[in-house]
Amino acid sequence: MRIAGWGVVTGFVLVALAAGLFLGATGIPAGDVLRALLDPSATEAPIVRGLRVPRVLLAFMVGGALGVSGAALQALIRNPLADPYLLGLSGGAGLGAVAAMALQVPGAWAVPLFAFMGALGAVALVYRLSVVAGRRLDPRVLLLAGVIVGAFSAAIMTTIITLSQADQLRNAFLWLLGGFSAASWDAVRLFLLYAILPLAFLMVQARALDLLTLGEEPAQTLGTDVERLKRIVLVSTSLLTAAGVAVCGVIGFVGLVVPHALRGLLGPLHGRLLPAAFLAGGAFLVLADAAARTVVRPIELPVGVVTALVGVPLFAVLLRRSVR
Amino acid sequence: MLQDDAGRTVRLEAPARRVASLIPATTEWLFALGGGDWVVGRTAWCDYPAAASAIPSLGDGILPNVEAIVAAAPDLTLLYDSPANLNAAARLTALGIPVLLLRTDGLADLDRQLALLGRAIGREHAADSLRAAIRDRLEAVSVPLREGAPSVLIVAWDQPPITLGQGSFLSEVLERAGGRNLFADLSAASASISIEAVVARDPDLVLVTGADSLPAFARRPEWAVVPAVRDRRFLRVQGSEFNRPGPRTPAAILELRRALERRAP
Repeated sequence: MRIAGWGVVTGFVLVALAAGLFLGATGIPAGDVLRALLDPSATEAPIVRGLRVPRVLLAFMVGGALGVSGAALQALIRNPLADPYLLGLSGGAGLGAVAAMALQVPGAWAVPLFAFMGALGAVALVYRLSVVAGRRLDPRVLLLAGVIVGAFSAAIMTTIITLSQADQLRNAFLWLLGGFSAASWDAVRLFLLYAILPLAFLMVQARALDLLTLGEEPAQTLGTDVERLKRIVLVSTSLLTAAGVAVCGVIGFVGLVVPHALRGLLGPLHGRLLPAAFLAGGAFLVLADAAARTVVRPIELPVGVVTALVGVPLFAVLLRRSVR
Repeated sequence: MLQDDAGRTVRLEAPARRVASLIPATTEWLFALGGGDWVVGRTAWCDYPAAASAIPSLGDGILPNVEAIVAAAPDLTLLYDSPANLNAAARLTALGIPVLLLRTDGLADLDRQLALLGRAIGREHAADSLRAAIRDRLEAVSVPLREGAPSVLIVAWDQPPITLGQGSFLSEVLERAGGRNLFADLSAASASISIEAVVARDPDLVLVTGADSLPAFARRPEWAVVPAVRDRRFLRVQGSEFNRPGPRTPAAILELRRALERRAP
């Protein structure tokens, strides 16, 4: 069962990588793609090495980060509905990014930094709201708080975009729907720099997250510093979400669907779930991006729209199955 | 009795003397027809001629502020023919303010619009001579699209990359100026496209709108894959005459044509 599960994940990753590299707005024959991958002076090398490879890598890492964030948040609030998008993190990060653009803060770090502050602000607000509303981290209250903070961020964002003089910012709406058109080796490096520490922090906490799913008191009794764990998870997932938003806009449902599907394949233990969520989340987003690039070429769909179109029905099926 | 672009029949008791012009293009035409003094309201985007800025702004032209229009007490309101404006048109009409819904998208709209505006403000003769003058000027400045004309990528926005297709005004100006729109096969006015498609079609030139001597996206690595961007083969145009058809259209075509000729080998 477990080996079959890993087989499925590996197959999924390979299919996604192949689709991402061999499909595109231009129909380059597979042989030419392979030649370009091996030889930097091949005719198709600019498209394959300059555009497709960094794009696939970036989509894979962002998808992986969202998958891991979703799995960790679900363990934290002990509810499979948790997701950076639903908990308001993505909305906060988007607001931060738009604010940085509207204020024209200079520097390559401005947008990711503001996105991080936005995500952290949203998480703090969600956390505060759910504490005020009674029991700490009651999943229902937390989700509700996430939804309203997300809606509030969206309202402020719309206000900024509407009032901004620069008509360029109006296109921020499109950017916010998510897309990897800005993928480059620089973006890959920037994202890696941001994501590697929070990813490592979360992976190390796999065991503690297993204990946390038993409930906060049992976890405390079994030797987990629950408050510290919560902080690590919230800050790490905020960082990951913000890094993703900064390079490609807001993308939802990866963190929701992927861990949910994987629990059915690999079981609930986080030592397996977190790495698998990285691989499958990455593969899912690479596939979604390949679809976004090719379905109506040369026009490109926002990838966030594709993940929602695929993710929501998929989640509905998983939800029904898990209820039964 | 006037027939507007939405096919509505509009009755004016007398030539309009208080016009709320909620389309930047019609504001330009009213001034060109010598009716600038009769414009009592404009959009926030009406930036030409300079005298237009003295007229009170009523806000946006799409989903307009009906209350602001009523407060300006116009005897005619010009609105862009968009589904988003039908509600406002119905409300203004119900309040006794006649509304003309006009399409101001491209060169094909110029002549019809000018004739209609001339009748609406009772300056048919001025409109007729302006129509003839514009037609002659357009013919004089336009060049036929030759075999081997340079292919031009219009970059309306860089992230995500958005270009203008066949249905856009700037694409028309470009073709009249002797350039071929790289994405002329897209019928939509604008579309989000992939950089990969741009690389595959390999434009000779890249047309950008804006003041910067070098657009910021030129320094970004994913755009550097496009040879025309890497080699800085940019055409720059600036000003609102490039995004709306109007009295300045012949001058816009001429300016772009000169820029293309300077780029020719």
